[in-house]
Amino acid sequence: MTEEMDYGVFEVDQHITAHSRYYAGWMGSHFYIRLRDEKKIHGVRCESCAKVFWPPRSTCGRCFSQLTADDLVEIGPEGTVETFTRVDYEEPVHPRRAPLIYAVITLDGADTGMAHFLGEVDFDRIEIGMRVRPVFAEERKGHILDIAYFKPV
Amino acid sequence: MSQTNMPREFISVPMTVDVPYRFAAGKYLTRFLKELRDNGRFFGIKCPSCGRVQMPPRIVCAPCHVRNEEWVELGLEGTLVGFTVMYLPLTDPTTGKPHEPPFVYGAVVLDGADSSLSHLVNVEPDVEKIKVGMRMRVVLRPREERTGDLSDILYFEPAAGPVQD
Repeated sequence: MTEEMDYGVFEVDQHITAHSRYYAGWMGSHFYIRLRDEKKIHGVRCESCAKVFWPPRSTCGRCFSQLTADDLVEIGPEGTVETFTRVDYEEPVHPRRAPLIYAVITLDGADTGMAHFLGEVDFDRIEIGMRVRPVFAEERKGHILDIAYFKPV
Repeated sequence: MSQTNMPREFISVPMTVDVPYRFAAGKYLTRFLKELRDNGRFFGIKCPSCGRVQMPPRIVCAPCHVRNEEWVELGLEGTLVGFTVMYLPLTDPTTGKPHEPPFVYGAVVLDGADSSLSHLVNVEPDVEKIKVGMRMRVVLRPREERTGDLSDILYFEPAAGPVQD
């Protein structure tokens, strides 16, 4: 065949869908049940490190102590923004539509922060150190989005 | 772990990661996919050093690291070199939709090629009835339904001819 035929530029559309199920484990289940049924947020306290982790875990990440349900402590509901970012583009991996704010929030009584959304907030007035409190979802399912978002106090 | 640790229920959350994406096929794959889409033909590329015919075509021969430039038209028939019977749904990367099990997935070396192409095989999913070395033919979608990706191939199906060693 002729060697220098022009085939032009070509783009191919593809689509990956991956289905899975996340199991919270026994410690995570305690956390989600209390969040869903009581609108209460719990961390777990490691006695030997004197640290409170959020979300709770069954093994201390610092000293590897086995933690139990007796080590769960209520934290928050208010907390402090440690850092944040503003997302302006749509990606299917984001659970919400852009624009949105992801913030790492350390709840009162906890020593670690966790990423969540900020809402009911002026995007130009978010600051590190800002005080926030959770807004719970009306219909809670035992999911981290049972906290709909955090809003300024 | 003490019994008091046990929650009254275990929480789990179904999750779906959904990623549509688009890639630029590049010079060689563009020619390969457009020939497949428009003319229903398969082309490989022959290495000037080792003579290996690679399909899908790539600019560089993987073993020799030299530039491939000789295009070779391949047959629409070939030989099954490996297969598996799938009992789990396999997500089709062109659509994101799962394929209902059980089904057969196989690797076929098209006549004239030295590398294999993996795709669905339209045979009964029974390992007693499938043999490595079976002759296979490519079944393509009708021209007007072809889009220029590997879903233009519907499946392989058995063709006449003796089993190859």
